[in-house]
Amino acid sequence: MFTRFADRSRQSVEAAFEEARMLGHDSLGDEDLLLGILRADEGIAAEALSSLGVTLEGAREESEEMLTDALSSIGISLEEVRTEAGDAFDMRIPDNRRIPYSPLAKKALVEARKEMRRLGNNCLGTEHVLLGILDNEDGAAVRMLVRMGVAPEKLEERLFEVCGRAAG
Amino acid sequence: MDEKTRTRVGGPEDPREGLEAVVALRRTLEALEAAQVENAFIAGWSWAKIAEALGVSKQAVHKKHARRIRARYPGEPPGRKGRDL
Repeated sequence: MFTRFADRSRQSVEAAFEEARMLGHDSLGDEDLLLGILRADEGIAAEALSSLGVTLEGAREESEEMLTDALSSIGISLEEVRTEAGDAFDMRIPDNRRIPYSPLAKKALVEARKEMRRLGNNCLGTEHVLLGILDNEDGAAVRMLVRMGVAPEKLEERLFEVCGRAAG
Repeated sequence: MDEKTRTRVGGPEDPREGLEAVVALRRTLEALEAAQVENAFIAGWSWAKIAEALGVSKQAVHKKHARRIRARYPGEPPGRKGRDL
């Protein structure tokens, strides 16, 4: 799966699993891939994201807020559940439980490889992963970005600007 | 919530929101089960008693929770005396 992956993009996927686990995601979503990119930092993708005001902290908070909103849409208050359960309540996925890739995360990584080929590159960087994520138009990552006030088209445009600067 | 911060309008005509609520609930349920099993354990309940209350087998509860709880309470947990993990 990781053939032609640059070290940084491989690290971003590893970081994505840690983020997913921390947030209680029982599978690795495409929003976790986005968090992984932000956490691995320093890549072209992270630069484009931070130039639009997307930070790791902000994205984590947004992800938690999406969970809270989804619960309150069916009348459940996460805060109340938390209070009732006491200190033992922790959304984190236990270390002994394996978490799989979600279909959308897999799709994003497959698309990332296609983006790499389309752009004539032979090393898969975080910018390709980010483009793959943006291809999931209805995915959690895109919806998260929109909630944070970042339009996917704008991000893609910024990504190519940063790429161009890096190349020339 | 205003239009800007919400990409989808809720309600029964929006299946996505309904499905997302299921995912959110599943994740929360897992965390809640882990917390309540831990609470019962700390209160001194045996695995058998916890399993009974959850309506599942003792083996199932032990397999799912023992390792995590053991890691969290390496010594004797409060309220739990002379019982093996």
